[in-house]
Amino acid sequence: MKRWHIRDIILVTILAIFMGVIFWAITPLYSALTAVFAPMGLQPLANEILLGVWTMAGPLAGFVIRIPGAATLGELLGAVVEMFLGGVWGASTLISGTVQGFGSELGFMATRYRRYDWITLILSALTTTLVTFGWSLAREGYSAYHLGFLLLLFAVRFVSVFVFGGILTKLITNLLDRAHVLKH
Amino acid sequence: MNPSLKLALLVLVALEISFTHVWTVNIALIVVSLILMVWSHVAFKRLVMLTLIPVFFGGALVWSLTLRGTASTHFLLVIFTRMVAYVYMGGWFAQTTNPLTLTRSLEQNAKLPSKFAYGFLAAFNLMPKIQAEVATIKAAALMRGQVLHFWSPQLYFKVILAAMNWSDQLASAMTSHGFVEDAPRTHASEIPLITRDWVLLVGSLALVQIGLFVGLP
Repeated sequence: MKRWHIRDIILVTILAIFMGVIFWAITPLYSALTAVFAPMGLQPLANEILLGVWTMAGPLAGFVIRIPGAATLGELLGAVVEMFLGGVWGASTLISGTVQGFGSELGFMATRYRRYDWITLILSALTTTLVTFGWSLAREGYSAYHLGFLLLLFAVRFVSVFVFGGILTKLITNLLDRAHVLKH
Repeated sequence: MNPSLKLALLVLVALEISFTHVWTVNIALIVVSLILMVWSHVAFKRLVMLTLIPVFFGGALVWSLTLRGTASTHFLLVIFTRMVAYVYMGGWFAQTTNPLTLTRSLEQNAKLPSKFAYGFLAAFNLMPKIQAEVATIKAAALMRGQVLHFWSPQLYFKVILAAMNWSDQLASAMTSHGFVEDAPRTHASEIPLITRDWVLLVGSLALVQIGLFVGLP
């Protein structure tokens, strides 16, 4: 199993900061979506639609750096950046960041850090959705929703995580592969 | 308070109120965080932001739970105060903790390996450069008539190339300045960890436990 070296640590941190900066730019979009959905009582949908973007640092770091813990660390550091930039949810981003990162990590763990292809990304999207949804059930009180609405939220979240953490991550890593910068 | 213990306290309390349903404790946490922030001269504008944000998002969430769910008033009150408490506690932490001191404390007091501590610091100091790089990449693409959005793979591709490049350079720079992974180090600036810190941590946690489990609403 590969160990962490100073170069990898700096790389995962820089990557997390980059993602933090890009995600920072979509905060107005989040507020706008919330404002549009809120009157109809659909606020969580704003969250679900964008959740894939916020959880993307995990699979991307896991895929690029390929060391156990990379996905968790990437997502957690992204949350640290968000907190110090003055993110919306404050301290709880640290916990959500760890939960999200661990969710993506499970996907890589399931293939024992050996496969870096579609299978791993789909698994990772699935574990991210399941783990973060469990967290939302407790933290955001999702457990009080009617079952139908809850299923809708779950479906939207999975699609979002799959589009950003799966498809977009695959497109990015394809480009990196063609540029021969990924270690195999 | 020692930054590592402060972080531990914050995470433990935030985790605990995520799974418990006592709104009076949430209110108490909000009041204490507010007092601590006023005490440390947090700017008024920042306090207003810290209030408006959770009221807006928490309000929207509570409204949605009312329309689409079967939540009781007590449950809604818990969720709403929980959201505000998270943001206030996080505000207190972020506004009163210096990232450099926190990293030093994590290395010295919490025994985080020094390669992680210095790796994080090296990268975090690049923050302004990283922000400028995203702007540069977008501008360079615009000159070729290409608009890069947060869903464009090219944006991330270029960002990752820059990250790889910089991490190589920074790592070599650190090695050439004599940084050796896992070697014992001395510290130019020591972060104290005194009995008072432990008393504050244990005392605050004990107070929260009492509040949560004596049967308050």
